[in-house]
Amino acid sequence: MIKITSKKTVILSGLLLCALALFSSLTQAHHVLGRPSYSLNEDSNTPPSMAIETQIGEYFVTYMVFPAFPKPNEPGRVNIYATRIDNGEMLNQTITFTVRDDTFWGESIGIGDGAKPEVIGQQNIDDGVYRQGFLFKSRGSYIIRAYFEDNGEPYEIDFPLQVGAASPVGPIGAAVGFIFFLLLMINIVQRKRIARTKIQQGNTAW
Amino acid sequence: MVMTHPGLPLYWAYAIGIMMLLLALLTMAVKAPITSASRSISLAKLPLIGGLFRFLTKYTWPLLLLKIAFAALFITVITAGLWGTPIVERNLATTLTWNLWWTGIIIAIVFSGSAWCALCPWDNIASWLVNHSIWRRSNSHSRLQLKVPTMLRSVWPASLLFIGFTWLELGVGIVASPYATAMLALLMLILATTTLALFEDKAFCRYMCPVGRTVGAYSQLAPIALRPIDSEICRNCKTLECFHGSDKIAPCPTKLIIGRLQENTYCTSCGNCTQSCPSSNVSWQLRSPSSEAIKEAKPHMDEAFFLLILLSLTLFHGLTMLDYWEVYLSEMAQLINDSGQLIISFSIGLAVTVILPIWIYCLCIGLTQGLLKRNLENGMTKLSFNKLFSGFAFVSLPLAFSYHIAHNLTHFVRESSDWLSLVANPLGIGAEPLSMMDKHMRHMEMMVSENTLFIMQGIIIAIGFVIAAQVIRHRGHRLFAAQGITLLPMILFAALVTGFNLWMLVQPMTMRM
Repeated sequence: MIKITSKKTVILSGLLLCALALFSSLTQAHHVLGRPSYSLNEDSNTPPSMAIETQIGEYFVTYMVFPAFPKPNEPGRVNIYATRIDNGEMLNQTITFTVRDDTFWGESIGIGDGAKPEVIGQQNIDDGVYRQGFLFKSRGSYIIRAYFEDNGEPYEIDFPLQVGAASPVGPIGAAVGFIFFLLLMINIVQRKRIARTKIQQGNTAW
Repeated sequence: MVMTHPGLPLYWAYAIGIMMLLLALLTMAVKAPITSASRSISLAKLPLIGGLFRFLTKYTWPLLLLKIAFAALFITVITAGLWGTPIVERNLATTLTWNLWWTGIIIAIVFSGSAWCALCPWDNIASWLVNHSIWRRSNSHSRLQLKVPTMLRSVWPASLLFIGFTWLELGVGIVASPYATAMLALLMLILATTTLALFEDKAFCRYMCPVGRTVGAYSQLAPIALRPIDSEICRNCKTLECFHGSDKIAPCPTKLIIGRLQENTYCTSCGNCTQSCPSSNVSWQLRSPSSEAIKEAKPHMDEAFFLLILLSLTLFHGLTMLDYWEVYLSEMAQLINDSGQLIISFSIGLAVTVILPIWIYCLCIGLTQGLLKRNLENGMTKLSFNKLFSGFAFVSLPLAFSYHIAHNLTHFVRESSDWLSLVANPLGIGAEPLSMMDKHMRHMEMMVSENTLFIMQGIIIAIGFVIAAQVIRHRGHRLFAAQGITLLPMILFAALVTGFNLWMLVQPMTMRM
């Protein structure tokens, strides 16, 4: 049997107990989201590609996308957790998940197939969390939208998703590349034109 | 929640209405003089500031430094737009482009004419890339120097791009997207570089740039312009360095001969003529404001259409910021089953707003033609509709300009951003969106008092009508020997547009950001 010998030991033991209690309460909070910690979930041993907490309308929403770097033909998952701001009550309705290509012009103008959203699935609450799995066949930038209605108000929660490596050529790269190619081509054409003129002039002079 | 600005008090509208009525009667009653020389003062000859203007036009480096500074700012805007925060009011790209630049550029024309074009980063970066030279005349092989195709040799490309810009700005909503704003800026840079590399001179500036053509058109009303100091020196000049350039300085990019220059429309204020003139005979001049629009500018059909489209788009900008617009758009969307972004309904609204003022203008021109033919049966046998159309089109210029400034003043004065924090954090890293309290405070903290703003707006709209009446009176008399009742249709057109402008200013206006 361990014998308590000094005051210091009592204080240290007390602090240790407090720390343990604090830790256990945090673990409980994490468990609400259906995952063991903020960086892992049941499908993925990597952190989410994004974890965002925000307020929308009457709700406080937390959403995550797993895994950190989704790849084509590999399954991933979106988790959403929403509670009412006023009383903390959990959202308990069907959420519809859709996906579309992440293009500003497609969304705004609605031109092209990528602009049309495709339904991934409809999910009901499961242990306090809405979980939607996905599997993309090709790499690209996508927008996943979670949609539900509450008290007649539509709620649309968008989050971007990059599947596979992002294109190495961004707008700046494309612009610089285009200008470089254009100037190079014009330079070659001009030099040929000048050389031809010189030859013609030489022939005439001769 | 959308914030709205209160509109102009109604008594201002009544006061301007009475002024319009009196001025309309006066315009019909008093005959315009056939010849009246416009007075001008060379700023280089003025006692105190003359030295400064001589210095600015003599040396290249002050302008070059300004060009570099604006190009650096442009690159910052693109960087902020592509990689900065998507929060509109916290990103330099959207705030600088739509709140300060697009508003300020119109106001700046009053003080500096077409000077913006000299600093334009689209053209300057394109020139540096293509010419491989920062300012000297270039022998670069990166230009094909092709002739501009005939179908592009007008301001129709600029007109169509301007309509496209408006569609993107208000319909697609690039104003509310830093990324799209940066992409548009990049697109314009590519367009400027491509046209410079392919075509001779500066085809982009002359025929395609909607901003340059707007600045060019409005600068016909500006009290400042680049002109010869002594006309006699230009008259005796045989070498025309301003047109051909010199060993070091490039020729005029828009093919203007400064000694014969009567219109500011295509002057880009690039400074080539001031640098290349062997007699240092070109400088900035103070002149009678709007003298070009009233008398000197020569009418061309494509330019006339551009002026009218400019007027239509200016009205459209105002219209889309009224509460009524949302209601009409929503009703139209329900009618044609348009959902989502209501882009079809918006496009129809834009098309109608562009066409309607032009159609009303045509109607007024038709009435003028009828009246003139009846009054001057034998005198004006060659009075064509087209000549009247292009001759009177300048009337739309002061009407568009005055509303443009009055409308932009509201944005400028009421939506002034926290520029210090924006400059300190142009990408808006870690910035939070404006709360309703922030928006409210911005709404309340105006640059000038609300009454001062209303006075300024009222005076500007009144000046617009005064100049429009002058344009009708002088052009009518000089071009078509029209006076009295024959001017009534055009006066009614000016009154109708001014009345509509006033009505829009009286309405509460939606905040842009």
